[in-house]
Amino acid sequence: MKYLQWAAAAFLVFFLQGRISVLGITPDLTALVAFCAGIRQGETRGLFTGMVIGGLQDGMSLSIIGPNLLGKGLVGYFSSSFLSGGMLRWTPVLGIVAVSLLTLLDNTTVFFARSLFDRPPAALSTAVFVSVMQAILNAPAGLCIRPPHAD
Amino acid sequence: MPRKRTLLFFAVIISAFVLMSYQSKKGRQASGTALAGPLNASHSAARSVSDFLLRPFRMMAARDEENRRLRKQVEALSIEKERTQEALIENRRLKELLKFRDTQPSAVANARVIARGLDNWAHTVLIDKGSRDGVAREMAAVTPKGLAGKVVSVSDGYATLLLLSDINFAAAVRLQGTRKEGVLAGTGSGKCVLKYMPYEEEVKPGDIVITSGLDSLFPQGIPAGYVSKVDSGGKGGNFQYVEVIPFQDDTRMEEVLIVK
Repeated sequence: MKYLQWAAAAFLVFFLQGRISVLGITPDLTALVAFCAGIRQGETRGLFTGMVIGGLQDGMSLSIIGPNLLGKGLVGYFSSSFLSGGMLRWTPVLGIVAVSLLTLLDNTTVFFARSLFDRPPAALSTAVFVSVMQAILNAPAGLCIRPPHAD
Repeated sequence: MPRKRTLLFFAVIISAFVLMSYQSKKGRQASGTALAGPLNASHSAARSVSDFLLRPFRMMAARDEENRRLRKQVEALSIEKERTQEALIENRRLKELLKFRDTQPSAVANARVIARGLDNWAHTVLIDKGSRDGVAREMAAVTPKGLAGKVVSVSDGYATLLLLSDINFAAAVRLQGTRKEGVLAGTGSGKCVLKYMPYEEEVKPGDIVITSGLDSLFPQGIPAGYVSKVDSGGKGGNFQYVEVIPFQDDTRMEEVLIVK
């Protein structure tokens, strides 16, 4: 049942990602799923969930398989280490900062991985703009996605 | 346990790099586009549903837009109609003036009233014909309705008319019915007075006043106005007080014919 829920969530974010656009930029919702998995279920599951969802995203794109797999995997992994209480204690502000930084990390990973192993997906200035915008768009989700024992 | 996780982490990174390096050399080996099939189908379904739901609103917006466009069109057509109407009226007026000119052998020029006189007290108008067109001082200005005034000053291209209603205006006239002569003078208001009508002379409201031509200024027989009020009770001193309303309203004069 739990896997079904995750599959439904993944499907929903892929669906929404194709339909939502702010100033021509789609929010990086798949990174949010990886972030959520990491923060709620720990590093390993976060890493694997991120890899699965990133792998699916790569599979459905026309580029090589790997950049999103790696990027989302890193998001899932680091989200857990940021907020599970090991190093820092969760607060809403920290949640916002973590989501923004991890979205930037995801975008940077995808951009450099594609640039290295395939073709650059965009000009550097465009990539910076898109990454910053996606980080801003994702930021409010940091308020809602919280660890299981946050309070 | 943490060491195991760290190892896993690096293993994932290394695997991802190996996978990407392999694909960069050999090209993409597997296509996952088939995975996108259900997603594309759901996008299509969502599009259909949103189209179905938004259709009435879009139609309303389209109707609103059309309504706005049609209103604009109606406004533009109304303005156009007004212009056409104005052109028709002007055409009719000019035709009348031309016809009238044919009946006036002493006609000098057709002129258009272009401005009111600058003096607030004097009843004067400026016309667009001057000495270049043969207009000279003391010439009469008439319209198809009747006497309008006389030329009091002339420049090359313009002339000033003193209107019938001005207090300094005077013309030799006679009553059309009884042929009794008198002098028509302005009063400074919209009316004129017929001077020097003896008490024994029968003057009735509605009598027509025409120019007599005896002043050598205005041609004979031009209608000037009609009697609106007669006072035989002594208001006029030794003569009857006869009020005359000019046929040509000063405020509605647009073209005149200058005659000598």
